[in-house]
Amino acid sequence: MKSSSVFSPHSSFAWSIYHLNVFVLIAMGVILLLVSGLVLYASWRFRAIGGEGTPKPNFGNLRLELMYTILPAMLLAAIMVFTVRTMQSSDPPQGAHPDDVEVVGHQWWWEFRYPQAGFVTANEVHIPVDTPMLFGLGAADVIHDFWVPELGRKEDMIPGTHGRIWLAADRANTYSGACAEFCGVEHAWMRIRVIAQSKQEYASWLHQQQQTPALPASGEAAAGLNLFQQLSCANCHTIRGTGTSGTIGPDLTHLASRETLAAGRLNNTPDQLYLWLQQPDIYKPGSHMPNLHLTDMQLHSIVAYLETLR
Amino acid sequence: MTSSEFFGNKTRLAVLLFLASEGIFFAFLITGYVFYHGAVKNGPDAHNSLDVLKTGIYTIILLSSSATIYMAERALKRKQKGFSFWMGITVVCGLVFLFGEMREYMRLLQQNVTISRNLFGSTYYTVTGFHAAHVTIGIILMGILLLLSFRGGIKEKDHIGVEVISYYWHFVDVVWVAVFSVIYLWSTR
Amino acid sequence: MSEISVLPQPMHDLEVEESRAGLLRWAASVDHKQIALMYMMASIVFFVFGGVEALLMRLQLAIPNNAFLSPETYDQLFTLHGTTMIFLVTVPVLLGFGTYIVPLMIGARDMAFPRLNALGFWLFLFGGFLLYFSILAGNAPDMGWFSYAPLSEKSYSSLGGVDYWALGILAIGIGTVSTAINLIATVATLRVPGMTLRRLPLFAWMSAVNSFLIIFAMPAINAAAAMLFIDRNLHARFFTPDAGGSPVLWQHFFWNFGHPEVYIMILPAFGIISEVIPVFSRKAIFGYGFVAASTVAIGLLSFGVWAHHMFAVGLGHPMDIFFAAGSALIAIPTGIKIFNWIVTMWGGTIHFTTAMLFAVAFLIEFTIGGLSGVIFAVVPIDWQLTDTYFLVAHIHYVLFGGTMFGILSGVYYWFPKFTGKMLSEKLGKWNFWLTVIGFNATFFIQHVLGAEGMPRRVWTYPDLPHWYWMNMLSTVGAFVLGFAFLVLFWNIWRSRKMGEYAGDNPWSAWTLEWATSSPPPIYNFAEVPPVHGRRPIWDLENPEHTDAKQGGRS
Ligand code: HEA
Ligand code: HEA
Ligand code: HEC
Ligand code: CUA
Ligand SMILES: [Cu+2]
Repeated sequence: MKSSSVFSPHSSFAWSIYHLNVFVLIAMGVILLLVSGLVLYASWRFRAIGGEGTPKPNFGNLRLELMYTILPAMLLAAIMVFTVRTMQSSDPPQGAHPDDVEVVGHQWWWEFRYPQAGFVTANEVHIPVDTPMLFGLGAADVIHDFWVPELGRKEDMIPGTHGRIWLAADRANTYSGACAEFCGVEHAWMRIRVIAQSKQEYASWLHQQQQTPALPASGEAAAGLNLFQQLSCANCHTIRGTGTSGTIGPDLTHLASRETLAAGRLNNTPDQLYLWLQQPDIYKPGSHMPNLHLTDMQLHSIVAYLETLR
Repeated sequence: MTSSEFFGNKTRLAVLLFLASEGIFFAFLITGYVFYHGAVKNGPDAHNSLDVLKTGIYTIILLSSSATIYMAERALKRKQKGFSFWMGITVVCGLVFLFGEMREYMRLLQQNVTISRNLFGSTYYTVTGFHAAHVTIGIILMGILLLLSFRGGIKEKDHIGVEVISYYWHFVDVVWVAVFSVIYLWSTR
Repeated sequence: MSEISVLPQPMHDLEVEESRAGLLRWAASVDHKQIALMYMMASIVFFVFGGVEALLMRLQLAIPNNAFLSPETYDQLFTLHGTTMIFLVTVPVLLGFGTYIVPLMIGARDMAFPRLNALGFWLFLFGGFLLYFSILAGNAPDMGWFSYAPLSEKSYSSLGGVDYWALGILAIGIGTVSTAINLIATVATLRVPGMTLRRLPLFAWMSAVNSFLIIFAMPAINAAAAMLFIDRNLHARFFTPDAGGSPVLWQHFFWNFGHPEVYIMILPAFGIISEVIPVFSRKAIFGYGFVAASTVAIGLLSFGVWAHHMFAVGLGHPMDIFFAAGSALIAIPTGIKIFNWIVTMWGGTIHFTTAMLFAVAFLIEFTIGGLSGVIFAVVPIDWQLTDTYFLVAHIHYVLFGGTMFGILSGVYYWFPKFTGKMLSEKLGKWNFWLTVIGFNATFFIQHVLGAEGMPRRVWTYPDLPHWYWMNMLSTVGAFVLGFAFLVLFWNIWRSRKMGEYAGDNPWSAWTLEWATSSPPPIYNFAEVPPVHGRRPIWDLENPEHTDAKQGGRS
């Protein structure tokens, strides 16, 4: 799995926070060294070894006290100036820029809408490299929080409100993020993948996602499609072109083009897809995807069908 | 009395601190109301549901009870007669106010304005309900004073007890002034 | 003792209590010392609950993809752990120290309102029972200690856990306020003649300021909890977004309480440190005025910084900057205290008793926590690190490295006064070193974990680079820490019976609680020494070198 450290920034936004972070950490480190140095030195130097009389009292020294009132104040003022500047560079104004991606947090998965291209996907979001993208943030149920440490700030997704943050990546890569506001039972398995691609690859991905997958005509996959439409799957899921329009669960139109399942819980291989459909309650206990107690045959058919959704 | 003598009485000090805490409690409830003021776009709200005039009259009655309790306290301090009389009037004023508020509630409930109807209902009943509970407690406290005085038990030395109960009652009145201004007088859209 | 002062009289008859026996005598007690001990004992019990909850969490987190606990159980554990440690451990144990020590320090016979004192304790205990009763009722609260709406609303938490939480908090809140009022009234009206406010011991100062914070902060959560309860049970709409309610309003209300609350948990600990460091350095406190005044400054500032818990909400840059600046300001008065304590040690003759060891460790551990607080006040860094294990590290460095180290110092310092027996210094040293090692092993690494992207409140986690060993280290540390507390409990249990006799003033300390027997008689003092300065016992014992003669202002 990928790292997700704030110390490996991969966008101008994350870089500017990184610089501030390093500066503040060094400043705090110096203060810590100073304080602990003084404490340890005093502890050693003035430890009782017997024989000394009563120490001379010292009731106060205004000059000294003012010094350690004013010096920290100056340091803090400097930090605050740096803070305000970094707020602007890491979270620049959004103006009237339209949202490039709409993110909707659900208990416990992510819906990603591409309003310009006109399709919906889930849990994995693709962006072109070196192109700041404006992410609109909303929530369908409780508060979630969108956070990809290497790419920039996080922001809460509060139901009834619409937040916006910039995200960018300076290298084609997969970046790992997570929901950062406790949102209930499976908050732990609400992970994000941001896949940054070269502009061409991104364009072809967009193109592919806009297509409606062909319906399988015969064989296992066709049986799977049938099951999908007849079982309750269709109540919760949408697969374009099949007449299904559920919105409780993720859009599955191009499920097979994703790398993971259930917000990072499993890898998207036929085997693991099988396991997920068989026992979602074991792999993600508490998840709103029910265990439908499908038979082995049903499972094989559905997996075969879902695997066609490239 | 100097201020250090004034606050040097532990009972008085404690009750004033308690009322400060209570005041902040109400400040938050009222903030909740103000925050949602105008949030209801259609449906019952302060503008189209409340009876400002009638409640205004009950408000005057409640406020005048601040004066009557002051009279009661003064009578006690000066060792004059009239403590029970003025205290009795105060209790009656409180009861009348509660009665008025109950009528307002009944009227609203008949129009199906409930605490769960919308944000106006939620905030309105919460603020006024907590206030009414405080009025009720005040009436009970004063009722006890009244009973004690009928049995001849209240002397000038009990003055501090009466004094802090009167603080409480003034406090309840002041809170109502805030509530009435914010909810009733600020009900135009 | 030539001068005998007339004591301000508390108004209850002391003979009544002595006739009752055993448990009932405790239950019916209105003596401040007994009530204080009940506060402390109840907190210890709750601390064991909260600690075992923490150990279970750490076991679950020891390895990635662990299934030792179900997610539901884990969520209940951290909610109970946070709520317990804050409302049922730190605050009451500090109030316990306050109700025991403050009346003694100011030469009073009891609190101003002994019965109210008992009421405060029993309300707190009742609130604690309500919270824990939820487990028996089959659904402990599981939405986190700050209970964010709408997760805490009926639609997402349909079982009764949140209701127990809300009612428990209300009961605790009212009880805490009544004790705070009592402490202020005590300090304000029952000081022995001669004890002016400028001679008031710093622990009493800080307990009083702390009480003001309680009185002004608690109503916010009481109002919010009442609204939440009304939402859940009468279907009101305060915090439900689908009906126009605002989840952000809950956050404002909660943190209006929540931020002052964190200082409510540290100020009395500052007070303990301000007593312990001078006594074991054999020097009067340096800069009494600055230490007392900075406490007031912290108290005032603490009401203006609440939205630093909401930087990730997106309130807009101007709001964020305002609250960031306020938060940074608090570092200044806090720093003054730290430096004044260090200067107090400077040039002293330092006796490293266990109490002093904890106090000295406090200086370093709390500074780490305070500095990570300042890091959070730097808004963009908060945008990165909020709600990660970096935050878990911050709160434990301030709450454990600060408050708990202060409490432990206080336990070793005042135990002789409470019981008449000394705690074993040998076990104390074990206790201390195990605590320091266990504590830092558990929590220091969590700074790194947070920076490496691990969110808080996750019941399990994927095997990302380094996460495994860092979590494992933290779990091991937690068990070392647990063991340190076993040593402490054993030390208390053993010394209570077999400890050396303490005598009135085993540390040669200078404040009035040491001028009476250990434990003090029910009436506290047969006679109170005269108070002419901040260190009455010093003045009494060194008539040639009283503080006044040595140039101390008072
Ligand atoms: C004992 C409790 C306690 C104390 C004392 C503090 C002290 C401070 N805290 Fe902390 N805090 C908590 C308990 C506490 N905190 C808790 C429980 C939470 C989390 C709640 C939750 O989400 O669950 C929290 C969260 C929290 C946040 C929100 C983080 C987030 O959710 O994203 C912030 C942000 O600003 C913050 C800041 C501070 C600051 C600036 C201080 C300052 O007061 C620190 C001041 C002290 C020092 C700085 C050290 C000594 C000073 C010097 C040696 C002088 C020189 C120093 C400088 C010049 C910098 N705290
Ligand atoms: C004063 C407050 C306080 C204290 C003392 C502690 C003490 C400890 N805390 Fe706590 N903690 C909080 C306040 C506190 N905590 C708060 C407010 C939260 C946030 C909650 C939330 O998110 O809602 C939190 C959250 C929190 C988390 C994050 C959970 C999450 O986000 O998923 C973790 C994880 O490691 C943790 C661990 C610990 C540990 C290991 C201890 C240890 O120090 C405990 C040591 C004590 C004991 C171990 C018990 C005593 C000993 C015995 C009973 C003997 C038996 C021992 C053995 C068998 C070894 N705490
Ligand atoms: C009651 C609603 C519901 C029903 C019925 C349902 N699902 Fe789901 N499904 C969900 C939810 C909610 C999720 C998201 C789970 C999570 O990640 O927590 C999900 C996730 C999935 C995923 C993973 C998607 C991804 O992007 O990772 C697949 C595949 C899936 N469901 C297939 C099915 C199939 C096939 C059926 C029928 C046999 C079905 N679901 C029935 C609600 C439902
Ligand atoms: Cu979604 Cu946490
Ligand atoms: Cu805070």
